[in-house]
Amino acid sequence: MSNNLPPGWSAHIDPSTGQEYYVNSLTQQSQWELPTVQNTQKQRRHLTHQQAQKYYSSQPADVPQQPTQLFTPGIGQQQPMQAQQPIQNLTNDFQQFSLSHPQQQRQSANSINLIGQVPDPNALENDPPMISLPPNATFSQSPTANAHHSFKRSTLNVIPTTQSLLNKFKIPLSLVITPYRSVSSTEEQIPVISDSVISRCRRCRTYINPYVTFLEGGTRWKCSICNLSNEVPQMFDWDPITNQPADRFKRAELNHSVVEFVAPSEYMVRPPQPPVYAFLIDVSYTSVQSGMVATVARTILETLDRIPNEDGRTKVCLIAVDHALHFFNLPPGSTDPNMLVVGDLDDPFLPTPNDLLVNLSEARGAIENLLTNLSDMFQTASGPESAMGTALKAAVQLISPFGGKIMVMTGQLPNVGQGALKNREDLKILGTPKESTLLQAAGGGFYKNLAIDCSRSQISVDMFLFGHPYQDVATLQCLPKYTSGQTYFYPGFNASRTEDALKLAHELSTVLSSPIALEAVMRVRATRGVRMSEYHGNFFVRSTDLLAMPTVPIDQSYCCEITIEENLNVPFVVFQTAVLHTTCYGERRIRVITLSLPTSSNPSEIYASADEQAIATLLANKAVERSQSAKLEDARDAVVNKLVDILGQYKSIMTSGGGASAQLMIPENLKNLPLLMLGLLKNVGIRQSSHIPSDLRAYAQCLLTTLPTQSLIPYLYPTLYSLHNMPMEAGTINEQGLVMPPKLNLTIEKFERHGLYLIEDGQHIFLWIGRDAVPQLVLDVFNLPSLQDLRPGKMTLPVLENPMSERLNAIVNKVRESRRGPYRPHLYLVREDGDPSLRSWALSLLVEDRFEMGLSYTQWLSTLRDKINTGSYN
Amino acid sequence: MGLEAWLYLFSVLASAGLLFTMVFFIIMFSDLECDYINPIDLCNKLNNFVLPEAAFHGFLTILFLICGQWLTFIINAPLLGFNIRKTINNNNFYDATEIFRTLSVHKKESFLKLAFYLISFFFYLYKLIVALIAEE
Repeated sequence: MSNNLPPGWSAHIDPSTGQEYYVNSLTQQSQWELPTVQNTQKQRRHLTHQQAQKYYSSQPADVPQQPTQLFTPGIGQQQPMQAQQPIQNLTNDFQQFSLSHPQQQRQSANSINLIGQVPDPNALENDPPMISLPPNATFSQSPTANAHHSFKRSTLNVIPTTQSLLNKFKIPLSLVITPYRSVSSTEEQIPVISDSVISRCRRCRTYINPYVTFLEGGTRWKCSICNLSNEVPQMFDWDPITNQPADRFKRAELNHSVVEFVAPSEYMVRPPQPPVYAFLIDVSYTSVQSGMVATVARTILETLDRIPNEDGRTKVCLIAVDHALHFFNLPPGSTDPNMLVVGDLDDPFLPTPNDLLVNLSEARGAIENLLTNLSDMFQTASGPESAMGTALKAAVQLISPFGGKIMVMTGQLPNVGQGALKNREDLKILGTPKESTLLQAAGGGFYKNLAIDCSRSQISVDMFLFGHPYQDVATLQCLPKYTSGQTYFYPGFNASRTEDALKLAHELSTVLSSPIALEAVMRVRATRGVRMSEYHGNFFVRSTDLLAMPTVPIDQSYCCEITIEENLNVPFVVFQTAVLHTTCYGERRIRVITLSLPTSSNPSEIYASADEQAIATLLANKAVERSQSAKLEDARDAVVNKLVDILGQYKSIMTSGGGASAQLMIPENLKNLPLLMLGLLKNVGIRQSSHIPSDLRAYAQCLLTTLPTQSLIPYLYPTLYSLHNMPMEAGTINEQGLVMPPKLNLTIEKFERHGLYLIEDGQHIFLWIGRDAVPQLVLDVFNLPSLQDLRPGKMTLPVLENPMSERLNAIVNKVRESRRGPYRPHLYLVREDGDPSLRSWALSLLVEDRFEMGLSYTQWLSTLRDKINTGSYN
Repeated sequence: MGLEAWLYLFSVLASAGLLFTMVFFIIMFSDLECDYINPIDLCNKLNNFVLPEAAFHGFLTILFLICGQWLTFIINAPLLGFNIRKTINNNNFYDATEIFRTLSVHKKESFLKLAFYLISFFFYLYKLIVALIAEE
């Protein structure tokens, strides 16, 4: 029996029972059951997933938890399948031969009762339910034939066959797409097809993908989306490098779901544009004094070498803004920048036609000189005015022939010139229904119209905001929102604190040095009968199904809701996302991401395929949109109602128990959804509170709508580690990377008075030290004699030469590096007996506890149950 | 011809004009759906007509009030109120960034207005004839 084991597996005899068990030397996994090809397939996926997450999660391999199974509706259907088992084993070999997907038996939903169960924080980052396609879906056996969930995931991994069936579940059907997620050097790179043989369907313009079928001896292919038969291009089986016939089934686009085509000139409207960066730096008094200008200038200076500029075409310009616009004339070859001041704020003009936007390589000397002296130039002269609105207009005018990126760094509300804003903050209306007016854009449409102009000229805007006490993030974030930029907010920035300067320098240089995709358009195509109905994220919708993105930032995520217009008679549905873009080194490319999902009309299968993380991502997006168009309270109610609807429908469809019930039934794969929704309701962006400044709220809302799922989940449900009593191996490195301590439930019950804890949500890290912490611990970690000497607040963890400190530093560093995106979270020290505001901030992250008006997890569950019992779900 | 006849003659022509504006709006919206026009151009074009349309209808309604045509005024008052409310809330203009999300609402609104202007066209015509007959 052990002879025909899949590669990597070996058989062993358990000495205590004498039974044979199997060990996989690749994954260190052991099991009693005979491993089959199915399992290895799963394993291989698991392995790539592990590689992807190597640096952020070293949780032990998931131990399948046996849930308390109360009612399993699908079990009846499983019986006949088991009777066919021997036949299936026989056919397995044939299936392999006929190049089919081995997995075909689908999961059915396991109901579990949530009441009385303690949520498992380690299960939050589990993989979504397996996608089990029919055996003949793809001719390619490649494990990469379907998109990895970090690129594209769906809220349901089995698509219902009709819209009325979908409506019954109340689970919104949506894709979560992260087309440009960062790919680390340890991961498999995205294959690039450079021979410019791009085969597309004549009718629906779908790109050839692993799910097409070849007809007539391979001379034609049938489109997987519209079923039209297309000709295979002549050069499809030809290798242009060796000039020999090649094996078509080795082509990347038939084996990989995420590929990049190099596009020929038909895909260009104009020659590829150079990357253009326009820096608008606010040099008003407060910004210079806070050290923002100096830090930004130094960071840009240090990053100049890493700005994408492989072919020496990159252009930059810099405008300093206070009550006037200061342009800099940077003649190539010279080292002396020449400042030109424009004081006319109503009708800005460019003071000189050339040498304002200069080639980075040619004018390097002048740029370096300018950046070195920028802060000193404005040390005394400026007042509290900022004409940023006018400056933005001028910058758009300056770079519109090319398009590119405008980076705004401002610590002052734009208060003179065009687009001037007023301080709208009104403490009295925080926490009242009127609060949402503060989250809507002000400025009479100036910023929205400017965003539209930017989108037209292929310009995207990134906002780095530092304003204190008020910056109007809600209005300024309009520009990044419609031009697919990103907003970064540093409230109370002060460069004299090293932590602040470090955070800004790290994030700004990461953004600057990341490769950007320019003048992009994104389109999602799907099998006939499936229509994309609504899009969420940072972009401008240019036509019903075309999203315009002047630049595609790395690690930003978009949601795309789906409706089913016709009954689906096909065994599986293909979703294809294509992003046509120009790379920063002047190549036109198309990134194609194909996801294929099976269809079914069996409710049990559909429930078992629901992906709680994707649902949470979508609902976070929708809640934010709701809060901006209606009231915050409506947004919260919408979240609660949606969850009640989902659970109520589950109760009425899948469980026999009619009437009021003491249980709260949920499919096992959705068991964390109520927890994530509770986290969303308690998130700064949505939470009911009268103490949250509107800037912080608006920024949290930006994060909720742009973070990719991987970073959003901890932002909704932060991670808690206990550090004083962590296992010996935690914080040390083994073959899987750094070992992290086990995650704990976010509740104060887990806290001991002498403990040291770490809470992190990807944006902040809190180090909580109990009031009775032993002096030795304080000495080991902070190098201070006693707890009383510890100053709460932002801090840098000292690196000391003792095992505890080394392990702790390793853990904190790993937490910082673990998630995709440029963010470098601040580390705050919180003393249990220290600063009450900081303490309550840290406590607000304990999602499972009561906080202000937020419910505790048990209260939340019983509220849900009561709502379901009183609703009409029986 | 008396005052009433002149008033209704004018309003027949006015409502025909408004009717055509609405037809234009609806054609533009369906152009947008078929991707013949981009949302920015669409909004720029339509926004030129939003205020004139509302103002013209408002003018007509006030005219009915001044001339003491109570029934006609009452028929027109709800639409006038609707337009005024939209102008006060500052959401009378079309927003290119949101247009795809709100397109169905806009289309429904335009169709309702179209129906309203069509009915009022025939109503004014009837009133015109009645007024002319009464004069003789």
